[in-house]
Amino acid sequence: MEFLSELTPLFFLLAMSGTLVGIVFGAIPGMTATMAVAVCLPLTYSLGLVNGLALLLGLYVGGISGGLVPAILLNIPGTPSSITTTFDGYPMAQRGEGERALKIAIFASIFGGLFSLVILYLFAPALADFAIRFSYVEKFLIIFLALTVMAALSGSMLVGVFSGVLGMLVSLIGAYDISNGGNGEYRLMFGFMEEYLDGGFSLLPVLVGVFGMATILLEAERGVVEDGSLSRVKISKDKPFKISIFKNQGVNLLRSASIGTFVGLLPGVGGSAASVLSYSQEKAFSKNPEKLGKGAPSGVIASESANNGLTGGALIPLLSLGIPGDSTTAILIGAFTLQGVQVGPLFIGDNPGTWNLMIIAMLVANITMFVIMFYAIRHIVRLVSVPKHLLFPVILMMCVVGAYTINYGIMFDVWTLLIFGLVGYAFHKIGLEIAPFIIGFILGPSAEIYFVKSLESYGTLSIFFTKSWIAIFLWILIAMSITFSIALARQQAKKSKP
Amino acid sequence: MAVSIDFDSSHLLFPAIVTALLLCLLLALIFRHHRSKASESAPEPAPQQTLKKPVDKVRLLGTLILTLIYFVSMERIGLLFPNIGLGFLLSSIPFVLLLSLLYMHDRTRKRVLVAVINAVLCPLAVWAILSVLFNISLP
Repeated sequence: MEFLSELTPLFFLLAMSGTLVGIVFGAIPGMTATMAVAVCLPLTYSLGLVNGLALLLGLYVGGISGGLVPAILLNIPGTPSSITTTFDGYPMAQRGEGERALKIAIFASIFGGLFSLVILYLFAPALADFAIRFSYVEKFLIIFLALTVMAALSGSMLVGVFSGVLGMLVSLIGAYDISNGGNGEYRLMFGFMEEYLDGGFSLLPVLVGVFGMATILLEAERGVVEDGSLSRVKISKDKPFKISIFKNQGVNLLRSASIGTFVGLLPGVGGSAASVLSYSQEKAFSKNPEKLGKGAPSGVIASESANNGLTGGALIPLLSLGIPGDSTTAILIGAFTLQGVQVGPLFIGDNPGTWNLMIIAMLVANITMFVIMFYAIRHIVRLVSVPKHLLFPVILMMCVVGAYTINYGIMFDVWTLLIFGLVGYAFHKIGLEIAPFIIGFILGPSAEIYFVKSLESYGTLSIFFTKSWIAIFLWILIAMSITFSIALARQQAKKSKP
Repeated sequence: MAVSIDFDSSHLLFPAIVTALLLCLLLALIFRHHRSKASESAPEPAPQQTLKKPVDKVRLLGTLILTLIYFVSMERIGLLFPNIGLGFLLSSIPFVLLLSLLYMHDRTRKRVLVAVINAVLCPLAVWAILSVLFNISLP
């Protein structure tokens, strides 16, 4: 219980203000939770790990939740994960039930958030305990599994795999890390780059580039259109919100929150997949499926409890295996790196205090989100109307600060930001997927070490099949995920044919 | 399936496998693209981003050019006044202002004034908090 001494007023203040800023970020279309976390990461430098995490987790929870505001009021999802909230939320607002729809969404959000938090608390330590027994062989197979799962759930399997493998290749640029048993030789680059790329591209500038800079380039291309409508929109309350609306929604809530948590667990699969999946499940199981899409509260509930369910789910693989569940948790790795803490199977056991404080921060963030959104939704709507022409230049400046400070002041990291901003922009243009690319980029160096060291120690490829029963079990999961993705691709191909 | 790995060349093994895999995937993507083009009856839906929306070339290229100038000037000015973050501060103020003006649609006097205040205060606040208060190095 030593960790209780770290529960300072600053801790609570950071978690709460993080949530507020996150909600604003989430509510501004085009800005996401990922961006909020990336932009605020340099601030955690001087805050220490625990306080820094409190801020970032608040931003994460707030960022995912804020997206529901423009989704319901303007039919524009504030974040990709609230796309399905527009299907029923906006028709409700048009019918004069704006406030009712918002409050239903807020209730569903906190249910999803708390549900996934409980699962995280129970499940992550168990998974970590199990993962401690993994040797390099199993660790490599886990990464392989993560990549196949990610590919299976990408928009297009082939594109997803390609993006992931490309991310891996980019991560291998530089020297084969001596500290992990490599030989220190350079590869995949020219001699003149050695000065800059000794350790390869740094993770954070790459992340801030593809998520922050690229977003601004895409907005610039669209002309940075000001959407002042949110400040003018009125929250109609013809029909008051009553908690009794949730009377018959228990199954929907539980199913959607579970789907959200589960999707969060899968690496590289973002919130939009979680809400789309749970929305389609609600449609499949609903007694009145024809009402969905025309302003049914159950649709809003399915969508919002799923995308908040993602938050706890995505932290499970990060804290137990060191594999981020989505793009925002990928940036959280940056916060740990800044403080010199490694996330992986040993994290929870070695840092029980930090682990418990993270759970408390998530809890505080969820409750703050609920209170702010439920009681101050009108003021939030006003906050969101900060003009983009003032906001975007400042965001870009913060991206530079983040990139520069992460490695204690290296100018090349700022250029990396620009390079990967252009890469992210190009990805959007040619239809490649960013999330698999980033997961590939993060996991590439570990995959190499685990693969090469396994072969060096055992001298045979068959070790990947014969090492232990866990290896065989992982192969079964890999086979299942590949079969699933092929089946899914065939189903989609059939659907697209007239 | 015995394999022996020479430590001196072990840095090339995994990149070679990944490159080979990437080439195979690229071929598969090209093949799929051609096949879907051949069967024009069921054309692939174009990615959302490429739907015909007018491209604002001025704002896009302007952002890129301003960013390039920003990064270069930040480094140069930073070398003139090392270790106090002035490179960041002195280049950020004009950058934020010019980018704001570039993005602004209806340039009224009041809006320009707000942009100027924003461009001075935000970099100043970030510089004061990070560089002065927390002693974090800025360019």
